[in-house]
Amino acid sequence: MSHHKLEAKELHFTYPDGNKAVNGISFMVSHGEAVGIIGANGAGKSTLLMLLMGVIFPQKGEVIVGDVHVTKKTLSMIRQRLGMVFQDPDDQLFMTTVYDDVAFGPRNYKLEEKEVEERVLKALELVGILHLKDRSPYKLSGGEKRAAAIASVLSMQPDVLIMDEPTAALDPKSRRRVIQLLKSFKHTKIITSHDLDMILEICERILVIKEGEIVADGETREILSNAELLDSCGLEMPFSLQDCPLCGSQKQSLKKLNS
Amino acid sequence: MSGMINSLYNLRLLDDLAKKGTSIHRVHPLIKLLTTVVYLTVVVSFGRYQISGLMPFLFYPVLIFALGEVPVLPILKRIIIVEPLIIGIGILNPIFDHQTFMFGGFTVSMGWVTFLSIMIKCALTVTVALLLVATTGMDGLAAAMRMLKIPKAFVLQLVLTYRYIAVLLEEAARTLRAYSLRAPGQRGIHRSAWGTLAGQLLLRTFDRAERVYQGMCLKGFTGEYYTGKSNRIRIIDLFFLAGWISFFVIARIYNIPMLLGSLLTGVLN
Repeated sequence: MSHHKLEAKELHFTYPDGNKAVNGISFMVSHGEAVGIIGANGAGKSTLLMLLMGVIFPQKGEVIVGDVHVTKKTLSMIRQRLGMVFQDPDDQLFMTTVYDDVAFGPRNYKLEEKEVEERVLKALELVGILHLKDRSPYKLSGGEKRAAAIASVLSMQPDVLIMDEPTAALDPKSRRRVIQLLKSFKHTKIITSHDLDMILEICERILVIKEGEIVADGETREILSNAELLDSCGLEMPFSLQDCPLCGSQKQSLKKLNS
Repeated sequence: MSGMINSLYNLRLLDDLAKKGTSIHRVHPLIKLLTTVVYLTVVVSFGRYQISGLMPFLFYPVLIFALGEVPVLPILKRIIIVEPLIIGIGILNPIFDHQTFMFGGFTVSMGWVTFLSIMIKCALTVTVALLLVATTGMDGLAAAMRMLKIPKAFVLQLVLTYRYIAVLLEEAARTLRAYSLRAPGQRGIHRSAWGTLAGQLLLRTFDRAERVYQGMCLKGFTGEYYTGKSNRIRIIDLFFLAGWISFFVIARIYNIPMLLGSLLTGVLN
């Protein structure tokens, strides 16, 4: 299904203060793929996501969703197909109840209220917070807020889910819930994170970004076990691939990979 | 510090109240808005020496308090916040107004009467405006304004300003918390830090507001605010409007307390 592919071609973006955040990034994500974007702080991950969503436009290069170029004219259509979950759910939840927040997107697309209700309830059920629908978002816990933010994007039924640090600031149980949730989605997913263990579980493919450029693009296990590459990009191997901290023995999976 | 966080919760109290489902909450937002506008216009139209005529206008807010299950104390507290402003406007009246009248053997400046009438009018109008928000919610009001064909830009300005207050307070609370933790034993904020703190706050809230706005845009927001509530005005809503407007008009034309008084004294005689 070619209409779900997402392509970035030679993207360049420099902030007004001269900071070259994205410097010639190109990649293609095909339908159903789960791609992790990793890199140190300030490597340009968030800027890249903003470029994909059309929040900012590149000075050079273009983003193509399906067969449509992301321009000001196509934004409305593009945003129906790409759903983005922000790093800080507080930025995404601004209505007075969780229900209204999740309904905000569908209502903007002028759907019938009955259809809106169906979508909202379905999205809330999917993320497991149906019981919170009448609560105020600011009274929720961090994990619940994250779930609400994800639901508010799912209700728009996007083809591609774009997430900025979906597991940041979550307790281990909530983090596990979010990971299970993301794994259960059949959507095309693009996830940026420093939580490399999460990326390892969810994504088959990884883009490593350093100073606004892609330095590696490949299979998750391969990249995450390349200690040298990760180290040069300000990263570290995920804990699940590191040697045992008690006895120092090497991970079985790594042994296999290295042999 | 804790005052700041409290006021944040207080601010949201109106939102929480607006979620109730009493008979007053169910009245169409447009109807409530129109009733309130008529109420405000009529109350403000009273002359500066007419105090007794204002008394029947207490009836409307009292009824909304009772039927809308709005707690009285938090609303009164908010009125007190406005009162100093009103005192500032009216306090010179007793000095400038040279007319006098006798009250219990004392010669009193008519200025006190005008001062009192300003205070009463303020209390009534602010209460009714707060009650409107507490029983309708900002989103409902925005929808009502759009139905009145008020330009999108103005309505949006209002809604986003209302949201921005919460954003501003949250950021301010965080900044102040960080300040107070590193400035033990200090009461308030030292004036040497005022400038940088205010600047920081401004920049941070700009950023935050920008992100919230981006979040709205990503969900298809184009400037129109949809609350999803039914737009139909019911017959009972029209009765509500007609009933209250006739009451306001009658109370404006006839001084009801005086009529009642003379009726009572007539009966007694």
